[in-house]
Amino acid sequence: MADLMGSFELAVLLALLRLGDRAYGRAVLHQVQESLGRSVAAGAVYTTLDRLEQRGFVHSRLAAGTAIRGGRMRRYYTVTAEGSRALADAKVTLTNMWRGVKLPAAVKS
Amino acid sequence: MNGQCPPRWAEYLLERMLPARDHETVTGDLHEEYAEFLVPHRGRLRANFWYMRQVSSIAVRCIQEGGAMTKLLSLTSVITLLCGCWLALMECLLRHPGFVSRAAVALLIAAAGLATLLVRLLHAGIRSERRLWAAAAALIALGAYSFLRNAHAAHFEGFVFIISIVLVVQGVLMLATLGRNNDPGRTVAGT
Repeated sequence: MADLMGSFELAVLLALLRLGDRAYGRAVLHQVQESLGRSVAAGAVYTTLDRLEQRGFVHSRLAAGTAIRGGRMRRYYTVTAEGSRALADAKVTLTNMWRGVKLPAAVKS
Repeated sequence: MNGQCPPRWAEYLLERMLPARDHETVTGDLHEEYAEFLVPHRGRLRANFWYMRQVSSIAVRCIQEGGAMTKLLSLTSVITLLCGCWLALMECLLRHPGFVSRAAVALLIAAAGLATLLVRLLHAGIRSERRLWAAAAALIALGAYSFLRNAHAAHFEGFVFIISIVLVVQGVLMLATLGRNNDPGRTVAGT
């Protein structure tokens, strides 16, 4: 399962975990940008959230909006048990992949 | 609050592109980011640019996620749009006798390409499916008319021949994709 998860999906799922119960679209966008250290298109984040929801890794619920957004509703996302398992699998896979690997000196920062 | 609203046309476009499920939430998120962070910190011009970039990114994703047939339809639409504009420009520059009517037909072809692109993107916001069927039929008719007219013309134009074929293909693809795009549960990803 973990080998099917891309790095962007990983970044979005980790952002959801970091944000906890404050994880709605805009906050996720900010968190992903911060963790990746670059600007990210909102469309990419929403597409990934939709895909993760379809795969059962994420669950969403609607909540009332604030005045600054014209009263429009917010969609909050939470990571499901299946999503947590996929994240744990991904972590193990990455750790295994890196085990015993040494970067050439020229690449080290 | 009025002074801190995204461009109305961009917001309208975004609302029409998005499926019903994401209407409020996605436009609300972008509106909030625009009004609360971008305008106060980066200024209105850069905020507008950011908003338009987000709308474009969602439009591109709608096309990318639409499957091979809708990608081909988008491609043919862009081709007819560019070809129509090019033909109209050339007619206006060369000014051969009767150029006004030919330029008008070329602009009509360009409009057909643009209309198909918009219909593809804004499908969620178009209420009457009958209009879409009529638009597809009009594309096929325009393509067939251009083809026959060109075939019987004194000088056969290869360029017009290609455009007429592309128009017919565009119309047929539009008919084929019509039913598939009318799912209200469709997400941003277009699935």
